[in-house]
Amino acid sequence: MNTNLLAAIINSTIRSTTPVLLAALGSAICSQVGVFNIALEGQILFGSFVAIIANHYTANVYIAVLAGVLAGALVAAFVSVLQVKYKAADMVIGTSLNLLVSGLTSILLFTLLGVKGSYSSPDLVMLPKINLPIIKDVPFLGRMLENLTFIDYAAYLIAVLIFIYLYKTISGFHVQSVGQNIKAANSLGIKSLRIQMWTVIASGALCGLGGAVLSMGQVILFTENMSAGRGFIAMASASVGMNHPLFVMISSLFFGFCQAIGVAMQNTIPSQLTLATPYIGTVIALAIFGRRSASK
Amino acid sequence: MSKVKANLHYIWKVLRQPLIATAIGLMAGVVFILFTGKDPIQVYGIMFEKSFFKPYYLTQTLTRATPIIICGIATAIAWRAGYINIGVEGQMISGAFAATIFAIHNPIQGLLGLILSMIVGMTVGALYASIVSVLNMKFQASIVICTLMLNYVASYIASYMSAYPFRDPAGDGLSLMTRQIPDSVHFPILWKDTTFNLGIVIAVLVVVGFLFVSNRMIFGYESKMTGLNPNFAKYGGVLQNKVMLKTMALSGAVAALAGMCEIFGYKYRYLDGMFTSASYAWTGLMAALIANLHPIGILFSAIFLSGLQVGGQAIQRTSSIPIQMSTVIQSSITLFVSVKLGFQFFKKTGIFKPKEVKPEGGGEE
Repeated sequence: MNTNLLAAIINSTIRSTTPVLLAALGSAICSQVGVFNIALEGQILFGSFVAIIANHYTANVYIAVLAGVLAGALVAAFVSVLQVKYKAADMVIGTSLNLLVSGLTSILLFTLLGVKGSYSSPDLVMLPKINLPIIKDVPFLGRMLENLTFIDYAAYLIAVLIFIYLYKTISGFHVQSVGQNIKAANSLGIKSLRIQMWTVIASGALCGLGGAVLSMGQVILFTENMSAGRGFIAMASASVGMNHPLFVMISSLFFGFCQAIGVAMQNTIPSQLTLATPYIGTVIALAIFGRRSASK
Repeated sequence: MSKVKANLHYIWKVLRQPLIATAIGLMAGVVFILFTGKDPIQVYGIMFEKSFFKPYYLTQTLTRATPIIICGIATAIAWRAGYINIGVEGQMISGAFAATIFAIHNPIQGLLGLILSMIVGMTVGALYASIVSVLNMKFQASIVICTLMLNYVASYIASYMSAYPFRDPAGDGLSLMTRQIPDSVHFPILWKDTTFNLGIVIAVLVVVGFLFVSNRMIFGYESKMTGLNPNFAKYGGVLQNKVMLKTMALSGAVAALAGMCEIFGYKYRYLDGMFTSASYAWTGLMAALIANLHPIGILFSAIFLSGLQVGGQAIQRTSSIPIQMSTVIQSSITLFVSVKLGFQFFKKTGIFKPKEVKPEGGGEE
C-alpha cells in the first residue's frame, strides 16, 4: 500500500474521530451515572449551529468554540431538568429534543442569517491548524498529523482526564457509585441527583465542543442536520467501549476509521454506498462487542 | 347518569395531558413566529385555513396523514412491547422501494399485481426490521442504536439504487428516481381531481387492525404484557425472543405499508429522499407519543400533525417562514406530553421506569 495514502487515511481518521469521541465521552459519563441520554444528537447539532452563529457575529473562533460548548450544555440542561429531575421518559425527551433542535436550527438560520439549508461565508474564521514544529518534517508522521486543530488533540487529553477523575479520585468513585447503586450512594450522603444533573450538562458541553469542531474544523459551514447521526454513533461507541474513557477512545477511532475509509473510496465507488460505511460499521461493531456491553 | 359522568371524567383524564401539551406547543410556536417578526394570529390563521378549513387543503392533509398514521401505528406496535424501534424510516424505505421495483418489473397487472407488490414490500420491511431482532437476540446489540443506524443504510442504498441500476432513463440529469409503476396497480382515487386515495382507508383499517390484535388476540396480549412487565410475561410462559421477532417484524411490515401507500396512492414512483425529506416516520413517532401509543389517539394526532405540516407549507409559500416551524411546534408538544407521561402512564406501567426504581432493600447497608 502506498504509504502516503495510508498516512492520509490515518489523518482523516483522526479528524473524523474527534466529534464522535467527544460525544461518546459524553454518553459514557451519562451511562456511568445511570442516565440514558439520547439527546446527544441535538446537543451536537446545536453546538455546531451556535458556534457558526457566534463566529459570524464575533469573527473570533475561540468565542465561537465557547458558545458551541455552552449551546450543547443548554440542550443538555433540558434533559437534566425534564428527564433526570422530573423523571420524564428518556426516549421521549431525547427524540423530542433532537427533533426540536433540528427544526429550531433551520428556523434560526433563516431568521438570523436569512439563508435556508446551509450557511458558509469567507468571513468565517476556521479553527487554526497546528503543525508541530519538528514532527511536521518527519515524512510519514508529519503527513499523519498534518493540519489538525487543537480540539483534535484536546479530545484525547479530555478522555485521559475523565479517566483519571473517574478511576483515580475519591470524588470520581462517588460519581461512579451513583450509577452502580444509587440508593447506597444516597445513604453515604452523596448528592446523587445533583451529580446526575451536572453530569448530563457536562455531556452536553462535550457534545457542544464536538459540534464546534464539526462545523469549524475540517470545513467551515453549517448545514441542516449536519450531525447526521453522530450522536447515535457516539452512543454505540460508548457502549462498545463499555463506558470506560480509554476504551471509548479506541472504539471511537474505529468509527472515525469507517468514515475515513468511506471518504477514501469515494473516487472508485458511488458516494451513496461509501456514505453508508460508518453506519454499517456501527451495526457490525455493536454485533461483535454488544455481548460484552449488554448493560443497556 | 353517574356512569356518563364517570365516562366523561375518564375521557377528560385521558385527553387532558395531550391537550395541555398541544396548547403549550402552539404557544411555543407563537414565540418563534414573533421571533421571525410576523404576526402569530395571522400566521396561525393561514396555517389552519390552508390545512383543515378548505376542502382542497383538507384532502391534502388527509393524504399526507396516511403514511404518518401508519408510521405511528408501526411505532406503537414496537414501543408498546417495550422494543424501542426508531427505524421505521428505514423499514419504510426498504419495503416501499422493493415493492416499487417489483411492481415495475412484474408482468402481472391489476389488482393481483398490486397485492403481490404489497406482499413483497411488507415482507422486505419485516425482514429489514428482523435484522435488528436477530442482532439483539444473538449479540444483545442495542435496538435503539441499530434501528437508527439502519435508517441511514436503507436511505443511502435506496439512493444508490435509484441513481444507478433502477434509474428512470427518461428523467433529467438532476432527478434521481425510478420509473413509474404501471397505471393498473395505482390505488383508486376516492375524490376526483384531488390526491385523496385509497391509502386513507388502509390507514384506518390499520388502526382498527391494531386495536383488534392488541385487545383480542393472544399475540397482542403477549406483546403488551412484555412491554408492561417483562418479568411477569416471562413468568407467564411468554417466549420473549419469539415475541420480539414477531413484534418487530410486524412493526417493519406496517412501516413498509406506510411507504407503499405514499407511492402506490400518490407519487407512483420512488424519488430519492422522498420519505426522509417529508420525515413521515418521525412525525408518526411524534403522533404516537402525543397519543400515548393509543391507536385511536394516533389517528387523530397524526391528522393534526399532518395539518400543521400542510399549513406550514402554506406559510412558507406566503410569508417565507421556514417549513421547519411545524417541526418546532410538533416537538414542543411531544416534549411537554412526555414530562407528564413520566409522572403518570409510564411510572404506573414501568415501560420507561425511572432509573433508580430498583427492588426495595437493594442496598446492602
